Amino acid sequence: MALYNFKKIMVVPTAKDFIDITLSKTQRKTPTVIHKHYQIHRIRHFYMRKVKFTQQNYHDRLSQILTDFPKLDDVHPFYADLMNVLYDKDHFKLALGQINIAKNLIDNVAKDYVRLMKYGDSLYRCKQLKRAALGRMCTILKRQKQSLEYLEQVRQHLSRLPTIDPNTRTLLLCGYPNVGKSSFINKVTRADVEVQPYAFTTKSLFVGHMDYKYLRWQVVDTPGILDHPLEERNTIEMQAITALAHLRAAVLYVMDVSEQCGHALSQQLELFNNIRPLFANKPLIVMANKCDVRKISELSEENQKIFVDLIAEGITVIETSSLTDEGVMQVKAEACDRLLAHRVDTKMKTKKVHDVLNRLHLAVPTKRDQKERPPFIPEGALLRRKAMEMDAPKRKLERDLEVELGDDYTLDLQKYWDLMNPEEKQDKIPEVWEGHNIADYIDPEIMTDLEQEEELREKAGEYVSEEESEDEEMQEIRQLASQIREKRKLKILTSKEKDTQGPRMPRTAKKVERATLEKEMADLGLDMTDKDDSHYALRSRSLVRKRKREVSAPPTSRTRSQSASRPPRDQSGVRDAKVVPSDTKIAPKRCVHWTLSYFSQMLKKVKTMMKSSQKEMNRQGKKGESDRHVFDVKPKHLHAGKRKSGSTSRR
Amino acid sequence: DHHERKRKKESREVHERSHKARKMIGLKAKLYHKQRHAEKIQMKKTIKMHEQRKSKQKDDDKTPEGAVPAYLLDREGQSRAKVLSNMIKQKRKEKAGKWEVPLPKVRAQGETEVLKVIRTGKRQKKAWKRMVTKVCFVGDGFTRKPPKYERFIRPMGLRFKKAHVTHPELKATFCLPILGVKKNPSSSLYTTLGVITKGTVIEVNVSELGLVTQGGKVIWGKYAQVTNNPENDGCINAVLLV
Repeated sequence: MALYNFKKIMVVPTAKDFIDITLSKTQRKTPTVIHKHYQIHRIRHFYMRKVKFTQQNYHDRLSQILTDFPKLDDVHPFYADLMNVLYDKDHFKLALGQINIAKNLIDNVAKDYVRLMKYGDSLYRCKQLKRAALGRMCTILKRQKQSLEYLEQVRQHLSRLPTIDPNTRTLLLCGYPNVGKSSFINKVTRADVEVQPYAFTTKSLFVGHMDYKYLRWQVVDTPGILDHPLEERNTIEMQAITALAHLRAAVLYVMDVSEQCGHALSQQLELFNNIRPLFANKPLIVMANKCDVRKISELSEENQKIFVDLIAEGITVIETSSLTDEGVMQVKAEACDRLLAHRVDTKMKTKKVHDVLNRLHLAVPTKRDQKERPPFIPEGALLRRKAMEMDAPKRKLERDLEVELGDDYTLDLQKYWDLMNPEEKQDKIPEVWEGHNIADYIDPEIMTDLEQEEELREKAGEYVSEEESEDEEMQEIRQLASQIREKRKLKILTSKEKDTQGPRMPRTAKKVERATLEKEMADLGLDMTDKDDSHYALRSRSLVRKRKREVSAPPTSRTRSQSASRPPRDQSGVRDAKVVPSDTKIAPKRCVHWTLSYFSQMLKKVKTMMKSSQKEMNRQGKKGESDRHVFDVKPKHLHAGKRKSGSTSRR
Repeated sequence: DHHERKRKKESREVHERSHKARKMIGLKAKLYHKQRHAEKIQMKKTIKMHEQRKSKQKDDDKTPEGAVPAYLLDREGQSRAKVLSNMIKQKRKEKAGKWEVPLPKVRAQGETEVLKVIRTGKRQKKAWKRMVTKVCFVGDGFTRKPPKYERFIRPMGLRFKKAHVTHPELKATFCLPILGVKKNPSSSLYTTLGVITKGTVIEVNVSELGLVTQGGKVIWGKYAQVTNNPENDGCINAVLLV
């Protein structure tokens, strides 16, 4: 069934795009290299292949279009009629016919030229023939521009049509514009149809789904119908008529009792009588809508007579209001029941029923005595069933209570408890009663376990409390312990405050100021005075050497008190600032400044040189100077595919 | 927000188009640039048209017919001798112009080009058969000579019956059946064989066009000259000789 395939129709390209796609495909997917000196059969085959490839592509694509689009004769008459109304059957068929003709023409062209190419004796001749063939095929397609455009538009519209299954249970709403059909469908289903005060708000068919008696029902909303003869109807009204004519559904004719739609009741009755023939064989209900504005009893005599007449004819008239929900459920139930009965009736009349009926058999147990044994239905179930049918108001929810009381509301779950004595519901639960701990009695077994454990503990002497005399040592220890606890808490707090996102430097890589180090150690109790000679107090070589300028020893062999006094590696190569040429006659004081700045400049330069030499290696992800590993020896994009334009390093 | 999106998309399109035009390479780029060039020409034309309204143009109607600038004024009128020689030249042209055809000169096709040698015989030594490699026309009642004796083979694939004939004044093209080959400019042998090459004069059935003579008779055959190389294009294009 072509029902859901409307969404799966392939996109119909425009003529220009179609040609471009196919030609570029031919150029990419067939071999492109050919030379004059090849053997003639090879040349012929090469060009014949191109012609046939193009023909094949066109043929496939056009056939797909032809099969994708629904054939108006094959789909359900409802869809056939709907498409006729929307897209004009003749135009549609013509367009598809043109495509078919184009397909055949292209096939013929290819056949002719392939036949001719067998007599091609030179590369030039075969090439010209191929060019002529492809050109002809593309011209044929260029002529189909209009048909392709039309089909694309049809396809887009088709995919947006609502999926109405013509065979399942359906309720159909019809009537004048603005009587309240869309509001009804919004109420009953989850559909969200636009409701506006102007007429013809609904311009096409809409579908909503609802459940009743565990079955799925479709509710179809139609655009309003005005009262004129069939020939004068426009596209929008025709859609409604089509739906009425072809769908086997229960019809809900909606009338506006308050005449807010702008048409008098007599006009509505006229329309009703005009489209009466369409209601044949369909369960019909008349909905007197907008009864919250005006009831039937408030109407004038003649209008009331209309309804009386309708009822006399045997048509159910139900007063409804979409605003106040009055009668909506009643209409729904009535319509669904009648439709179901109607469908069962129709099925019974067909021959297929007998197959099913023959297999059904209701087995009744044989009576063994005269005692009456009716089926037992508990009262609660009966009440509930009644409630479901009546749609009785639900019990008051906590939410409603909350809304009512506003600020005074407290959640009191104790009132739902099921106690023997209902007055005790609000009593507070004691913790101890008659010397027993109530919590122990939650689990009846627990008492014995606890008693056992307690006996054991008493034997072990846990409950004997000693008088502890704390001597100084203990007091000190206690103090220290409290200090440690405090410090620990502080550390935890600081670490929590720290921003730990991102990579963290290890503690040893961070530079610690001398002052902080000494302070911390002093806090902990170490003696940190007079620590100038310690290892951490040593500064860089030159600055220290500043104080000991008199001692001029060679750079490399330096005798120091501490072994770790060598200059760091990043400065070891820098030319010694101290080495001043002996014949310079610069004042010593100025000399110091000159060498110091010169040294720092040199140091900076050295550092930049180091970094720039490493930049290239780092960019390529090399481990060092000697790393020669190549990650991708044969990149696929340079070694695969045709050699199109581009250089060797980029294709 | 459909309108907002649409507006933004349109404004982005300009940038994307320029980016594409710069980055594309290869065959795609050639096609694209050709197309774009045509578009630009059109744009320039329309702009020029709009601007024409504003600018002033020379009015050609104001200059009278035959007005000639001063330096072209004749010193004396035409002499009689000149008139006579012109007359003779005219007469000569008329005599030669009985066959005024659209393609007066055409490249001659040699025999090796038109006829291909077919070897036959037990040892493939005999070479008296020839196969026509160009498009040809054979009449309706044509039957081959017995294959053993036929010297010129005209393959079925290369036999054409219809030609696309253009009327030079109406500028309309019709697909008309060929009646026969009148003359092939390269050789009379080709004419008898019915070989159609560029410049051949063929006779076509024009009853479709519904032409009538002054006397009231219906014209049903006319000459046309072939204007393309049919073996390269797969079809015969001709121009009607009126």
